[in-house]
Amino acid sequence: MTSSPESIFSPDSPQARAIVSLWTVNFVVCALIFTVVAAMVAVGLCYFRGRPGDADPKQVAENRRIEVAWLCGPVAIVALLFVLNLRAMARSDPPPSGPDDLEVIGHQWWWEIRDLRAGIVTANEVHIPVGRPVSVRLDTADVLHEFWVPRLTRKMTAVPLAGNHIWIEADHPGIYRGVCSEFCGTEHAWMRVMVVAQPPAEFAAWEKAQERAAAAPSGEAADGLRLMRSMTCVNCHAIRGLAPGGTAGPDLTHFASRRTFGSGVLANTPANLRRWLADPQKIKPGVKMPDFNLKPAQLDALVACLESLR
Amino acid sequence: MTTARLLLTGWSWNPMAALVAAAAGAYLLAFRGRGRPVLFLAGCALAALALVSPLALLASRYLFSAHMAQHLILLLVAPVLLVLGLPAGCRLPAAARGLLRAPVAWTAGVGSMWFWHVPALCDAAAASAGVHAVQSASLLLLGAAFWWPIAAPDPRDRIGPLGGIGYLFSACLACTALGIIITLTPAEVCPIFRSPADPVGILALARRRWALGPERDRQLGGLLMWVPMCLVYLSAIFVELARWYGEAAERAPSAPPGEAA
Amino acid sequence: MSGAAPALPAAPSILTPEEQAHRRLVWISTVDHKRIGILYLVFALVFFAVGGLEALFIRLQLAAPNNTLLSPDTFNALFTLHGTTMIFLVVMPAVFGLVNYCLPLMIGARDMAFPRLNALSVWLVLFGGALLYFCVLTGPPTMGWFAYAPLSETPYTPSLGVDYWIVALLALGIGSVATGINFITTVLCLRAPGMTLRRLPLFVWINFVNAFIVILALPVLNAGLIMLLMDRRLGTHFFLAREGGSPVLWQHIFWGFGHPEVYILALPAFGIVSEIIPVFARKPIFGYGFVASSSVAIGILSFGVWAHHMFTVGMGHAAENFFAIASMLIAIPTGVKVLNWSATLIGGRIRMDVPLLYCVAFLIQFTIGGLSGVTHAEVALDWQTKNSYYLVAHFHYVAVGGIFFALLAGLHYWFPKITGRMLDDRLGRLGFWLFVVGFNATFMIQHVLGFMGMPRRVYTYPDLPGWHWMNLLSTCGAGVMAVASLVLLWNIARSLRRGRPAGDNPWEAWTLEWATTSPPPAHNFERLPEVRGRRPLWDLAHPERPDPPTPSGDIVAPDHTRAAVWCLIASEAAFFGVLLLVFVFFNISPPAGPNSRNSLELGRTLAFSLCLFLSSFTLWRSEAAERRGQRRRMAAWLGLTILLGLVFIVGQGREYLGLFHRGIGFGTNLFSSSFYILTGFHGLHVCAGLIALLIALGLSLSGELRRRGASPLGAIGLYWHFVDAVWVFVLATVYVLPRLL
Repeated sequence: MTSSPESIFSPDSPQARAIVSLWTVNFVVCALIFTVVAAMVAVGLCYFRGRPGDADPKQVAENRRIEVAWLCGPVAIVALLFVLNLRAMARSDPPPSGPDDLEVIGHQWWWEIRDLRAGIVTANEVHIPVGRPVSVRLDTADVLHEFWVPRLTRKMTAVPLAGNHIWIEADHPGIYRGVCSEFCGTEHAWMRVMVVAQPPAEFAAWEKAQERAAAAPSGEAADGLRLMRSMTCVNCHAIRGLAPGGTAGPDLTHFASRRTFGSGVLANTPANLRRWLADPQKIKPGVKMPDFNLKPAQLDALVACLESLR
Repeated sequence: MTTARLLLTGWSWNPMAALVAAAAGAYLLAFRGRGRPVLFLAGCALAALALVSPLALLASRYLFSAHMAQHLILLLVAPVLLVLGLPAGCRLPAAARGLLRAPVAWTAGVGSMWFWHVPALCDAAAASAGVHAVQSASLLLLGAAFWWPIAAPDPRDRIGPLGGIGYLFSACLACTALGIIITLTPAEVCPIFRSPADPVGILALARRRWALGPERDRQLGGLLMWVPMCLVYLSAIFVELARWYGEAAERAPSAPPGEAA
Repeated sequence: MSGAAPALPAAPSILTPEEQAHRRLVWISTVDHKRIGILYLVFALVFFAVGGLEALFIRLQLAAPNNTLLSPDTFNALFTLHGTTMIFLVVMPAVFGLVNYCLPLMIGARDMAFPRLNALSVWLVLFGGALLYFCVLTGPPTMGWFAYAPLSETPYTPSLGVDYWIVALLALGIGSVATGINFITTVLCLRAPGMTLRRLPLFVWINFVNAFIVILALPVLNAGLIMLLMDRRLGTHFFLAREGGSPVLWQHIFWGFGHPEVYILALPAFGIVSEIIPVFARKPIFGYGFVASSSVAIGILSFGVWAHHMFTVGMGHAAENFFAIASMLIAIPTGVKVLNWSATLIGGRIRMDVPLLYCVAFLIQFTIGGLSGVTHAEVALDWQTKNSYYLVAHFHYVAVGGIFFALLAGLHYWFPKITGRMLDDRLGRLGFWLFVVGFNATFMIQHVLGFMGMPRRVYTYPDLPGWHWMNLLSTCGAGVMAVASLVLLWNIARSLRRGRPAGDNPWEAWTLEWATTSPPPAHNFERLPEVRGRRPLWDLAHPERPDPPTPSGDIVAPDHTRAAVWCLIASEAAFFGVLLLVFVFFNISPPAGPNSRNSLELGRTLAFSLCLFLSSFTLWRSEAAERRGQRRRMAAWLGLTILLGLVFIVGQGREYLGLFHRGIGFGTNLFSSSFYILTGFHGLHVCAGLIALLIALGLSLSGELRRRGASPLGAIGLYWHFVDAVWVFVLATVYVLPRLL
């Protein structure tokens, strides 16, 4: 179970660990209660089986003392669990302090990630430095979405104008997968997200690279850029430095540096990108990006252009 | 100011407490061990504590949630103990009995809660000692009136278990409604708690140490009115049910006691 | 009956030979509670087939990662319809069917209190189902069965299917409230002599409590649905955040209904189990008082826990903690019940017949579902497990492992009474084991999938380690359940024709329904045994050692119509309560643009309000005159009442016109939306009252009013006074308080 890349049982942050230890206590308590019930049923069924023709048993209708006892038992258990829960809540979701580091905005069906301090805009990949809690504000551009990275932190709904907040922290470098867990329409299934935790130096380097605007491409890639401008791609997609403005789709400034696209639907390789551009509706039916009926030469140019956006 | 210091020094004198003490004395003198003095005195003690302890200080102008906790004690918890403490057979004068029918008592109990949360009145009670005294006294009295049809010492004054369940459940709904409004809307029921004057530094303690910002304080107050109050009503409902089914056991002469043990 | 039909026990039949000739008409026109109960069960069975097929397709699509069997929107429509169908068109009708059939029999009544209203309710189920599945033609609803705003709003789901879904639920909701009122009135007014409230069989008592939840919870949903429909079709913005509305408000309203709904489904299951376990353990239920009181506790608590469905929308820790406490409290009465049922088994002489098998499976599976429910009540755990497959597993353990199994137990238990024939025992056992294996294979593994991060409502998933085989196993389990369902259907079909004749009391049970023939005659009982305790047939069979008598003294049966109108009033009060709270929610800090202070005229409103209040007085005079038999005077006061009511309606209409002229429409801002919905619905109620009063006036003028027993004027009067009382609150909240505060 713990081998899964997303299991809540392989937590890698203090927040997620607090919840798992609460779960452990819970599991023990629940298992005990279940055993009591199952044992009572089993004893009943094994020892008090009747045979045809048996006389009726003694008609016992109640026993106040036993009943009061099993009224009080659950009360005590519930009180215990509640207190433990209070502790876990405080540990896994402390109140926000100071300005937020990131803003994560859910769109149908992708995640926009804005680094509020560095001014970086990216999509579907949250980069954080290892070992430091990152303060995240959640928002949505349309319907409700829910940000959930099981190994790192609690899930939280993105409610319009509510400014919901979570902490994200990772103890080790690595890639942590997550999803949108609140049903948000047609492509809810392909609204995945990943958190990339990097050692501080690597993170700083990444940040620096992302801060740069895109450089003008050359050769086939330049043709691709012209196509993007003429075929209205840039109405939705922004490329900082080359074609700013579009906000409906993911920012493409550093598209090639991302591991996946389409919110996790495909790995970011030139071949996959070509397939995607040829007919996005086939790969992710319902996605807001229309099918442009591109010719092979246009596809080549666009792929070249996008691959140049490192 | 620290929490410990507040608990030590936050006691204040309130003339209402003297009245409560007088009531306790009168009770002891009048009934001399009849009734259930433990309950009655516990009710008096709770009411007095709510009036003179640090809770009262916080409730007077610092925290809306403390104000609500005080309300809860004065309106619900203390009065029911007082009423339960009265000796069996104790009845009101006939005229008062005619007046104190269930709908009137219900309106008194629930209405006083709504009434004192009209913003102007709530602020007035927090600002003026006189109004505050009237508020405390009315809460205690109307609370006792509310409980009368449920817990009156004489069964003839009670409204019976099934009626009682409806009585309590509807009261629970009424306080839920107000609780919902206070918790979920940006309503400012008592604007005075938003930015109280703070001569002794208690506010800093509440805001920083207890992390009770004005927003959270209001929400907590609303929730106190909503959930614990309803739980009090709910417990009373269970007592009523237990009484109802208990009657069955008591009146069944042929139930062999050995089998029940 | 006994002398005329010696052949009857050999070939029991639901319809009499005369009825066989025109059997379609019999079923369509019936107002008999038993046949209505059967209709309910048949509808439930039909929709169970539909909802089950939907579930199968859902599982087939999920059998493999990146599967393309279904398109995303088809999948989304399927799970929306599956949820809606199973809750509103399968479990609720099945429950209502069993209650309809058994409740009057168990209390020794001839029929329900309002047989024709009962018929209306059952046909509304079919009507609601037809409306819901009309979406096959219009494009299906794809927003999930709890229709979270803003996804359910027109900008994001323009499909007409959502509107049909809303209207279908409104129809079903109204039918359910009517059923609830009918149950309450029947229990209050029609019990056999000696059948006091404290002697009611637990099935009846629990469903009596449940009926209160029905009449109080469904209006909450209705109010929300109407607001959603207005958002979609009339341009209001109740649930659109950027226009001033609140998507979280929808969640509060929906779950304000939705959580009590869980208990509307679960309590009857508890009732069934509480009947069956004692019979097959051959001893009375352990702790009748505890089981009965804990049902009341669950009923009341169920209204205070809804926000535990919302621990991830950011309500703040304080609110979340309070709801966590309330939710965990509800586990206590539920746990008490489970322990009581288990204890009933101990010390018995257990007969392992099929109904008991289902009850035992219920006990175990429901305990698992209940315990995973406790983990959801703990806020921090819920933050991880909510909206994952762990949640899906949890509620299926409650809804299928618990409720559905209990319903099957009930079906096997009462089938002999309903049809006069036994279900086949071998097929029954086969079906049981297939259901147990299939159910647990389907859902147990989903707990694990949830822990591993699989969110609910995804039409497909990437091929992560372990996910494929777990999903495949779950799909296989669903296949086994499908086979089990076919076995069940085959068993029913076969036993209807060739089942062993059951006789009156095949299980040697102790409640009154077994004191008559199977199936019972149209009038239910030839003669009733004396009722002195909770098990009248035990007392009859063991005169030497009867149950200790339970006390008799009880409330007097009130008048039918009045009791029903009081229930209606309670239900309507819940509806108006929601609308009032919505008004307060949006107007407590007055919105920009038109609001109470700058757009409403207090003076004129007070004038026509006075007319409405006066009309209560005149109606009271009219009632008084009727009691004294002064017909002309009564008609005069009644006419005056109608006139005053009309003045009020005209006044309100003029106010609306004035507002429209100033450009304040439904969707102008949240003030106007909440104002129109609140006053508009009150106006509609006044109109309904006026129609009732006009009918009463017409009847009284033609001298028909008193001809058939009790006069309806008292009941109409109650309703009218209630409508006036609502206006007191509306007037205060909408017109007066905003000016004072």
